[in-house]
Amino acid sequence: MGLSMNATTVDCYDALAAPNPAPPRRGVPAPIYVVCSPSRQVGKTMLARLLTEHYLADARPVAGFDIADEGPGLADFLSHHVTIPNIQDMRGQVRFFDGLIESGDVTKIIDLSHREFANFFTIVDKIGLFDEARRRSIEPLILFLIDPNPVSAKAYEILRRRFNGTSMLPVRNLTVARGLPYGASFPHASTLVASLELSVLGPAARAIVEREKFSFLDLSNQASPQSNIPARTRAELDAWFRRARFQFREIELSLIREQILTSLS
Amino acid sequence: MAKPALILVGADKGGVGKTTVSRTLLDYFASRKIPTRAFDTECPKGTLKRFHPDITDVVDVTSVPDQVKIFDTVESSDAQVTLIDIRAGLMSSTLTALRDIGFIEMTKRSQLTFAVFHILGPSIASLDEIAETSKLLIDARYFLVKNFINNTSFFDWNEKTYSSYFNKIPHAVEVVVPKLNEMAYEQVELSSGSFSAFIADKKESGEPAGYSFVLRGYVRHWLSNVFSEFDRVRVPDLVDAKEAALRARSALKVAELSQSSANS
Repeated sequence: MGLSMNATTVDCYDALAAPNPAPPRRGVPAPIYVVCSPSRQVGKTMLARLLTEHYLADARPVAGFDIADEGPGLADFLSHHVTIPNIQDMRGQVRFFDGLIESGDVTKIIDLSHREFANFFTIVDKIGLFDEARRRSIEPLILFLIDPNPVSAKAYEILRRRFNGTSMLPVRNLTVARGLPYGASFPHASTLVASLELSVLGPAARAIVEREKFSFLDLSNQASPQSNIPARTRAELDAWFRRARFQFREIELSLIREQILTSLS
Repeated sequence: MAKPALILVGADKGGVGKTTVSRTLLDYFASRKIPTRAFDTECPKGTLKRFHPDITDVVDVTSVPDQVKIFDTVESSDAQVTLIDIRAGLMSSTLTALRDIGFIEMTKRSQLTFAVFHILGPSIASLDEIAETSKLLIDARYFLVKNFINNTSFFDWNEKTYSSYFNKIPHAVEVVVPKLNEMAYEQVELSSGSFSAFIADKKESGEPAGYSFVLRGYVRHWLSNVFSEFDRVRVPDLVDAKEAALRARSALKVAELSQSSANS
């Protein structure tokens, strides 16, 4: 009967603190975006849609996940690219979270309902998802839509402390957070040199984007159902989408910059 | 400075999680690099040995040759900790045998720690068992383990009765093993390895096993809570001679714990 611990055994116990050594970093990162807020009606699904369509516009692989319990959600707008995971039971959690970190080549976008907010982050914390993702060269990025509700500032602070080391960007949707300062309540919790702001859409444009099956990608397609949109509204939507995409590109550039700096250090 | 320790893990009832608690203790000592050996009294097939084959021997604790093999070597063994997973129904008889051969008396005089982890069942019968067992363990470190891993409910007990029993055993320390999700627990069982090997996603050979990351995460979180509980009740003191000398004065008593919980 052996008494001493062999190398494998010692490795196992080290794993309690750090499951695996970091593998070598690859080229362009395919991040996991978590679009969230503890409040409803702050533009989470809109932001998730814009992000998903941003990747689709570049013909880059993307997978959307709709963790919402009320419609219309991300799956209602982009049904071919979005799945609806069930994180209420263990089998659903295994399928969803194991799948999230399985491949680093596909960008994942999670539209997180305000009702699932606490449950989702509790699970993520317990299983150490963000640490494991980073070990696999997958950068998690929390996009937190800010709003004047004090609950929102409190939740932001909790996430910032609990996921210290994970990038979290406060996102200002000017429709609900005009004039709301990032400042003390929503400090930038990321080393990324980027910010994200959704400008206000006019009522006509807003009514159009809220139609199910509306796609920003179809705006330039004359044969699409969007072809009857008035030219002025179409131009407004097009400019709005381009502005959002410009900011997404800045975030991606920041992620690449971070990766390069990490590989050099 | 280190001193040897003999740890008995047992209960008179079956199915309360003796082997599970033994496994967590073996993981705990290994994580702290404390050399440990284990004896599995589930003779002849063995249960603990399936999960920790390198350090476990299957023995018949009722046979004198095996008793010699275990108890005569506690101090001379290279292992600092000798852990015995006592089969259901043998707890009281093993303690009686240890008393009869003078082992318990001997621990008072020698540089050796004797500790018992008594795994509680959900019925009132367990409380009678505590009272019975504790008489033999005045000079031992006595841990009463509430094992919630299998979703056992301790709320079936009448709180008054429960407290009165605990007050009769002032040297006992309560340990709580939290619940682990059934699916995660089942997967570790199927892996036939230690909890730590499962967390590290390794087979016995050291090759990657490909276990679910989610389930490994849940087991890691749970085991770290169990380790915190062992830290809280000062399990490492069992093999620390200096601490052991101070033990009588500083041990946490259940009565005090209950009092502080009531106040907080």
